Amino acid sequence: MFLPGLQDDLRVDGRGCEDYRHMEIETDVVSNTDGSAKVTLGHTAVLVGVKAEIGKPRPTVPAEGYLEFFVDCSANATPEFEGRGGEELGTKLSNTLYKVFNNKRSIDLKSLCICAGEHCWVLYVDVLLLQCDGNLYDAISVAIKAALFNTKIPKVHISSDEEGGKEIELSDDPYDCMRLNIENVPCIVTLCKVGHRHVVDATLQEKACSVASLIISVTHKGTITCMRKVGGGSLDPESIFEMTEAGKRVGKALHAPLMKLLEQEESLGKKRQKVGFLG
Amino acid sequence: MLKSKTFVKKTRSGGVMKVVREHYLRDDIWCGSEVCTECKQESTVLQKDACMESSLCSYPHYLVPDTNVVLHQIDILEDPVICNVIILQTVLQEVRHRSAPVYKRLKDIIHEKEKRFYTFTNEHHRDTFIEREPGESANDRNDRAIRVAVKWYSQHLKTFESDTDGLKVVLLTNDQGNKQKAQDNGLLVYKCEEYVKSLIANPELVDRLALSSDDKNEITSSKVLFPEHLPLSRIQTGIKSSSFLQGTFRASRDNYLEATVFVQGEGEDGTEVLIQGLQNLNRAVHQDVVAVQLLPRSEWVAPSSVVLQDEGTAKDDEDAEEEEGKLRTAAAEAARKPTGKVVGIIKRNWRPFCGMLNVSQIKESTRHLFTPADRRIPRIRIETRQASTLSGQRIMVAIDGWPKDSRYPNGHFVRSLGGAGEKDTEEEVLLLEHDVPHQAFSQAVLSFLPKMPWAITPEDMMKREDLRPLTVCSVDPPGCTDIDDALHCRELENGNLEVGVHIADVSHFIRPGNALDKEAANRGTTVYLCGKRIDMVPELLSSNLCSLRSNVDRLAFSCIWEINHKAEILKTRFTKSVINSKASLTYAEAQMRIDDTNKNDDITKNLRGLNKLAKILKRQRIEKGALTLSSLEVRFHMDSETHDPIDLQTKELMETNSMVEEFMLLANISVAQKIYDEFSECALLRKHPAPPPSNYDILIKAAKSKEVEIHTDSAKALADSLDAAKVDGFPYFNTLLRILATRCMMQAVYFCSGMDSDFHHYGLASPIYTHFTSPIRRYADIIVHRLLAVAIGADTTYPDLMDKHKQSALCNNLNYRHKMSQYAQRASVAFHTQLFFKSRGILNEEGFVLFVRKNAIIVLIPKFGLEGTVFFDSKDKVSPNIVFEEEGPTLSVEQHKFHIFDKVKVTISLDDSNIQHQKIRMALIEPVIPGVSVPPPDTERPAKKQKLDR
Repeated sequence: MFLPGLQDDLRVDGRGCEDYRHMEIETDVVSNTDGSAKVTLGHTAVLVGVKAEIGKPRPTVPAEGYLEFFVDCSANATPEFEGRGGEELGTKLSNTLYKVFNNKRSIDLKSLCICAGEHCWVLYVDVLLLQCDGNLYDAISVAIKAALFNTKIPKVHISSDEEGGKEIELSDDPYDCMRLNIENVPCIVTLCKVGHRHVVDATLQEKACSVASLIISVTHKGTITCMRKVGGGSLDPESIFEMTEAGKRVGKALHAPLMKLLEQEESLGKKRQKVGFLG
Repeated sequence: MLKSKTFVKKTRSGGVMKVVREHYLRDDIWCGSEVCTECKQESTVLQKDACMESSLCSYPHYLVPDTNVVLHQIDILEDPVICNVIILQTVLQEVRHRSAPVYKRLKDIIHEKEKRFYTFTNEHHRDTFIEREPGESANDRNDRAIRVAVKWYSQHLKTFESDTDGLKVVLLTNDQGNKQKAQDNGLLVYKCEEYVKSLIANPELVDRLALSSDDKNEITSSKVLFPEHLPLSRIQTGIKSSSFLQGTFRASRDNYLEATVFVQGEGEDGTEVLIQGLQNLNRAVHQDVVAVQLLPRSEWVAPSSVVLQDEGTAKDDEDAEEEEGKLRTAAAEAARKPTGKVVGIIKRNWRPFCGMLNVSQIKESTRHLFTPADRRIPRIRIETRQASTLSGQRIMVAIDGWPKDSRYPNGHFVRSLGGAGEKDTEEEVLLLEHDVPHQAFSQAVLSFLPKMPWAITPEDMMKREDLRPLTVCSVDPPGCTDIDDALHCRELENGNLEVGVHIADVSHFIRPGNALDKEAANRGTTVYLCGKRIDMVPELLSSNLCSLRSNVDRLAFSCIWEINHKAEILKTRFTKSVINSKASLTYAEAQMRIDDTNKNDDITKNLRGLNKLAKILKRQRIEKGALTLSSLEVRFHMDSETHDPIDLQTKELMETNSMVEEFMLLANISVAQKIYDEFSECALLRKHPAPPPSNYDILIKAAKSKEVEIHTDSAKALADSLDAAKVDGFPYFNTLLRILATRCMMQAVYFCSGMDSDFHHYGLASPIYTHFTSPIRRYADIIVHRLLAVAIGADTTYPDLMDKHKQSALCNNLNYRHKMSQYAQRASVAFHTQLFFKSRGILNEEGFVLFVRKNAIIVLIPKFGLEGTVFFDSKDKVSPNIVFEEEGPTLSVEQHKFHIFDKVKVTISLDDSNIQHQKIRMALIEPVIPGVSVPPPDTERPAKKQKLDR
């Protein structure tokens, strides 16, 4: 029923094919995390919290820290998640997030190293789905980027004594902390093939009509770092090319306002009125 | 309004944790001032005319001390002159964090109504709460919080200024930076010192000012005498990597240049590290928790046997170096002990110390040295203008600090206890020095006493067995008013004997958790001094309601056995009961009844039955390897009016003593078994660990010198070889050996069965033991009573009773109090011995050498149970040729060689040249060594002599 409109770059809710729905971002919403962000995209709402903990680096990369992802599909989001219903989706999502974000091109993992081979920071990224109204990947990726931007890792010093024993010392100033460089953190753009066209930020209805979709992670420079096809249908090479090009374009356009917004919020400092979950 | 406080902290496993706490701000926190009309407070603390006459502040004012002022000048704040003080929550919290004792004292002041101390919860007040800013340290934030609160107060009070004459708030701080900032903010601020000096009414308060860091420099030479202490973080990493050891610093009583640090190891065992020399001691004071670094093995030394006292006027380090030289004598490799040096102080354990002032020889000087009564504490330099009044008095002094360029710690005067040498003063001193709680019982405690007149209620009777018809009697020392045990014995129809031990049922009166219980738990034990008793429970209980006096009905906890004539226990049962003692006897009276064949009344028959059984029990016990040790106890005959000792004799032991003791042991063992069976995790027991073999070295060596073999492989072997040890023509030898053996023993301790696996009581040769029989004077017995009552279903339990960690903590306190009470007791005996010898003049007595030291022998006078030291080197004389041999040990002075157990003759006199440490001075008469021994004095008056020989 909306196929005809799409030909003219017009969707049911009045958006163009490459337009996002209304997006709201708030950072620092959960005080007992080291960084957090809440993103609503249409009626989709996700909450991301980052906890930094000291762990042991992986033996293959002793001088790097790493990220861990966990996606919790709460039954609040949609009744389908009740019981163990959300588990499969959760695993699928976290696997994708792991692929997209946990590499040294996205985040400077070396900066997470405290003491090579012995201690490093492990960032536990917990994603909580509050409401599902399509396009989870994009919303989650934006929330993760915002939460990582917001993350403050306490500064530690390694002191060593004469015998070579090492000791981690914490600074007693809570403001003395390290920020992550998130410039290269990609955002995910999901393109759904509907009829002959592809759309960005599909609603649940559009999603139902799509045969297959492509998940593309794009950096601020427009570089594609990861791509994955989901859905049962097939895509011909030509449309894949078209869709990647569109993804690049949309992704690049997404980063600039996002960064601007985050920096603006940060500059408000303590004076910012928090909205939280009730606002 | 809600704020959250966030901070990061390190977890024990090395992780980092972010902690978020909710913090609520309120607008209903009132200022506590009488003048305020705005705050809706019900009662006010701070007065309208807050008058402390000060030349600096002529107007009425409230004081706001900052944290450091409270921490260091708590003595000033405690003075009644200082009132109308606002204690900010920030300050209170910081004090709590930094020093528990000061916090407790501050809390006590706040609770005192007349002091008018008001706690203002500024951290929760909407207008005075501040958040920490980026780049601000925690201390700076707190200082700012204090300034903000003071500012708020001064503005708040200003609004009412029209009707008062300018009530102001004065901030007291010793921090120059803080003061400057406060002045910039337009606050009234003074240094604590300035303020106290300006007080018109109380010039002597200045003496109590603790020295703050900036004026320390004036006092001492700029020369650095001690190495710097390491910062706490370095110490912690050092301890973790085990390059440093943490332990409790114990200064030596005999040698001020020597100390040991007791390092608690895994579980029970600990090691001791020896510290020698001023530099290595590095300003540690007795009982501090310190970090030590071991010296290389080549620098290890043996503990010196030199007795060295820090005396004379304030000295410089040259003297000390010279004295240190004396310590360094080549020691046998084997005798060397792990030696270390103090690198840092983890926790100071300073308390106010009792002692006396050495008035400076310079007349106008206000700085004087203070000599503490406890020899393990270094002398303290204090500043006072009342030196002339204070000399000759016992005073208390607190240490403020010990800068690295000062030979002595700096301190300040706290209070005077009274004239030295006066009995009351000295008693107070020894109670304070031994940390014996001796204040009168508080109203809160007394409120839990039963109302008089008290009588046994029918409900009590219902729950208890009525044993009043039995012929029960008690046997105690003369003059005993707290009778906690009574006995009975009767023949049963089947020919067996029934023996009952009845113990005062104190736990009926002291209910768990109330103020009375807490006070008793804190006191732990009744302390018996000569002619004075410091009760654990109020007198109404100890001498009346709980005391099993004759011919009154009393509640008891009874342990009743059925025993056959071979003293084998056939049945044991425990019950709460009511008894009526038929007689309160003394040991001597009981002995007389037993021996008097004409007497055949019930009580006497009773006693004979008990005595017969006791003898069998004792024999059985000794066969099992129980030790009979010996220590001389003395008893003073007091003048009934002046309470001065007029005669002194060693305590005599009678058969009846051991009769009572035997049954008490039996009851304790039976109860221990019962409560352990019932509560294997939380039974309160008493154990006596076997001493390490090395403890016996001195005993074996000493015995060998008289060609007697002592076996120490087991208690039994030791007991047997002690029994066999006899030397012809030396009847006292055996007693001396037993005295020495006693010194080799370990302390018996209370413990909780769930926290330990070794229950053995070495001295009594019993696998399990506890204390059940003296609940009036020992708190452990009360707990055991409660456990037993629960075990037999006579009483209900409560959570703390079953918590092994709480029990264990309680045991620690009881062990500490027990030890301290013994020391206090000994100190009291020593003081009375001195009083006794003061009235006697110089005496000649025979004695035996008990120990041989490097420069002295320690002599025991059996007649008085008195020990004294005969020194062979003194400062004012050329010392004789002395050779000390470790193997032996022997000491050769000129031609004569002293062995342990040698018989000597000495003169005894009281040396009161130093009023603080009056001591019994002994000098050698026989054997005659030219230049060393003294001629026998002929100052003895025959009359006195007669009295003593009685």
